Amino acid sequence: MNYVIAGYSIVLGLLFLYTVQLIWRRRRLNRLVALAQSDPAADQRAEDGP
Amino acid sequence: MIPPSANVPSPTAEPPVAQSPQGQSPLAQSPLAQSPLAQSPLAQSPLAQSPLAQSPKALWATRIIGIAAAVGVAFTVWLGLWITPPDKTQGDLVRLVYLHPAVAWVALYLAFGLAAVASLLYLWPRTRSLFWDRLAAAAVEVGVVFNVCTLISGSIWGRPTWGVYWTWDARLTSTALLLILFLGYLALRRVPADPEVRAKRCAFAALFAAVDVPIVHFSVLWWKTLHQGATVLNPDLSPQIHGSMAWTLLLGFVALTLVFFWMLLVRYRIGYLQDRVGTGELDTAIRQRQAEGVVPAAGSEAPASPVSVGSRLTSVAAPAESPPAESPPAETQPAEAQPISGVVR
Repeated sequence: MNYVIAGYSIVLGLLFLYTVQLIWRRRRLNRLVALAQSDPAADQRAEDGP
Repeated sequence: MIPPSANVPSPTAEPPVAQSPQGQSPLAQSPLAQSPLAQSPLAQSPLAQSPLAQSPKALWATRIIGIAAAVGVAFTVWLGLWITPPDKTQGDLVRLVYLHPAVAWVALYLAFGLAAVASLLYLWPRTRSLFWDRLAAAAVEVGVVFNVCTLISGSIWGRPTWGVYWTWDARLTSTALLLILFLGYLALRRVPADPEVRAKRCAFAALFAAVDVPIVHFSVLWWKTLHQGATVLNPDLSPQIHGSMAWTLLLGFVALTLVFFWMLLVRYRIGYLQDRVGTGELDTAIRQRQAEGVVPAAGSEAPASPVSVGSRLTSVAAPAESPPAESPPAETQPAEAQPISGVVR
């Protein structure tokens, strides 16, 4: 049974780690794209205030 | 680099598509949308506009598939480890059958098969689109992960049954070769090149590597191997497994297939965003150089950005004089190349 537990743990653990990595990469890129598409002039106005 | 913003949207929020007073959306006016890659014919094709990556329906489908996959995997583990009976000859080791064939199915047939089909569709002139290139890249990366899982779970199963973790058996060796071939594909994708050149050579590489898939499949028939032949999909189409074991096996296949499609959708979106961010960084660097006076500004007679778009290692040529109007493309003209710091990632 130890081999079975080891097999399930390693395979599912690898898939879990890859899933976490995918989510992290997607979030990072979503953030970068959102930053790149933000309007610099609007940002400046927001920083300067009314 | 990309300038910091005061109103940073949430990471998962989709970019806004509001209309400007001029009737053109901010997205269309953004540097990303006006970058050379975004305006290339391949990127303008309907498929490359990526319904898989952008539409709200696709995002909802991704979530639903992800939830279904997680539930399916949980049920497979529960049934496989606690509910199904041990085998008459293999005992508890048979529980690995609910995992190992399923990950092999995903890696060999779904992932690498899909990569081969997508590569073929990219090379076919009528269907050529960066959509297929991104899809192939996503399928290969996910397939490599599942291929590693196949080899690991097979080795763990082999130790108590064959007495060794690894042997140079035909099935094992051809599967390991498949992993190496597709790792080569992923390495090839990282070689700096124009996106269309990269897509073309990667498509050829994927087709070359996919030749090994039928070899893996038929290896147990063509050579004498330790690995057993087909149990469920045998030539007689008479499954030699039944009862709760058969249903658990089927559930494992369905669950890991869902996991694959979820990963594929997410990885496809990552590739799509990488292309956009890559060109955005490039344009930012070019604008910085233009501000420094190294590169002529856009709209002047000289070529503004003679760069290999999308490459990770990029240089900007600084022509000493403006070339004549009928001159060949700027990439073919050697000029003093100055690397941009900050573009190399």
